[in-house]
Amino acid sequence: MSTYRYSEQYRPPEARQVTDVAIERFADIFEVDPKLMTAHVVQQVFPNWDTLRIVASRHDHLDWMHRHWAEKVVSGQRLLDELDD
Amino acid sequence: MTIAPALTEPVLDDLRQVVGGEHVLTDRAARFNRARVPAPFPVHRWSERVPDLVVLPGSTEEVSEVVRIANAHRIPIVPRDGGTGLTDGAVPLRHGIVVDVKRMNDIKEIDEVNRTCTVGTGINMLKLNEVLGRYGLIYPDDPASYPCSLVGGRIGTSGWSLIGSRYGHSRDLVLSFDFVLPTGRVIHVGDGAGRKLSKSSSGYQLKHLFMGHQGTLGIATEATLKLYPKPEAELSPFFAFPDYDSAYRAVGELARAGIATFAGAVLFDEWKVDYLRRDDEAYIPQPADVRALVCAVAYGYEDEVVAGGRRLMRIARDNGGRYLGDEVSEGDWAARHDRYATPLHGRTLAGQVIPMSWHCEDAAINYTNLPQVRLEWHEIVRRLRERFDMFDDWGMFAYTSADTGVDYLTEIDVGIWEQRLDDESWAAWVQAKKDIAEVALRYGGSISACHGSCREGEVDLVPQELGGGYDVMLDVKRALDPNNIMNPGKYGLDRAYEPEAGGAR
Repeated sequence: MSTYRYSEQYRPPEARQVTDVAIERFADIFEVDPKLMTAHVVQQVFPNWDTLRIVASRHDHLDWMHRHWAEKVVSGQRLLDELDD
Repeated sequence: MTIAPALTEPVLDDLRQVVGGEHVLTDRAARFNRARVPAPFPVHRWSERVPDLVVLPGSTEEVSEVVRIANAHRIPIVPRDGGTGLTDGAVPLRHGIVVDVKRMNDIKEIDEVNRTCTVGTGINMLKLNEVLGRYGLIYPDDPASYPCSLVGGRIGTSGWSLIGSRYGHSRDLVLSFDFVLPTGRVIHVGDGAGRKLSKSSSGYQLKHLFMGHQGTLGIATEATLKLYPKPEAELSPFFAFPDYDSAYRAVGELARAGIATFAGAVLFDEWKVDYLRRDDEAYIPQPADVRALVCAVAYGYEDEVVAGGRRLMRIARDNGGRYLGDEVSEGDWAARHDRYATPLHGRTLAGQVIPMSWHCEDAAINYTNLPQVRLEWHEIVRRLRERFDMFDDWGMFAYTSADTGVDYLTEIDVGIWEQRLDDESWAAWVQAKKDIAEVALRYGGSISACHGSCREGEVDLVPQELGGGYDVMLDVKRALDPNNIMNPGKYGLDRAYEPEAGGAR
């Protein structure tokens, strides 16, 4: 069982600069570089769990959309590999 | 409450008698929420577009009675479905009564044998397909507003579908519908008089006339739709290219390949890639040599999709495309069914993030003219952005409309800092819209493949585009709507009522 600690939730991992305009704190979750959000729109502070929840929910939604439109998804990589065989 | 002089208490009483008191809404929230569509506009002018009241009828008969009352008292009527259209069709330019059809959302029949369903036009396609899925069926009309637009709006705008290259667009998928004319008379429109016919050669073909009129000719209330088996399989590969020209060649070959399960191909240009690279998690980590993107989509039985898919993959690869992988491809495609949920922000010239709304200018352009139209459109937006640091070029895409690659829904997305729009910047934007439409016409295209052309700016060029056909539009409008009550102020149709209006005679 994991223990919830308030202070940990508001201490995100160190940011890695990915491009001139984006940073990454969690794997494959990108954020606008905070220095670009100082004049007109200020970045909101999220607890870590909420950032991860939002991303997971987005993936759930996209999975739902696939199921909504078709019974299965064909892998493009598989077809590409077959071309090379 | 300030309402039109014609909307006196006896008239309100008549409307309440027809639809029930609880379905006549006069409060500010009900009226202000039905004053606009998602396309940005100068919000300081919001009050110019607020209807006097909203009615929510529950049947064709009730719609007919409401329209009869409005026509008798010369009160403007504005039909409203999802309100997701981008060319102001659902915006009340002359106040009056908004007829909101959302209560008419029943599924009246699912005919599994003839592969049709009959629905109230207030139903949303996503909700309809949730039910149809239980029968192994689908209604494949798929706009970017799929989760929130309604069947009736798709009729009123003659909508364009993301997978129209496989299944057709709204005009092909809607077989017939009941339609309330501006006098209140109800007619049934389809191929011939049938409800479930896909082809008739009897009489004038009126179905197209009563689709895409942006609410100026009446209100569709009940529709019979064509159904397909729910696809067994989906394929949606995305490819990266080092330059626009090779991506352009690839999308052309994909579209011309004649693959039966081909549902669409999309070309994203350099400006679109730059936009995605700053805000889209799929593209932020892409290497700098990615300068253009192409996507191809296929639906059908798995064995068909696999066979056609191999051909699509080979075409893209032979044209220099680098497959972006299953995760990016599948995720990006799934997100395209739901673009209205995208949180929007743009950048000032200095790079600071600003809240922005999405204005997309679209046209129907032949494949051979895509490269030049692209350059001229971006130049128009660049000049605008130079003058006003509240517009942002979010790039362009070109999307096959048909299964042969003849023409493309061509779109430039422009972010607009809506809250900062004043009269001067709005006028400049309207001029830019006109310039964009003019380019489309100069290259033999149509002002719109998808959104319609009745918003400020492009609407001025509709007579030029249609020529004598526009005079026929004026004649039709005057004949069917003698008192100009049905969505007045749209498409320049007020001129049908000017004394010197000559029409097509």
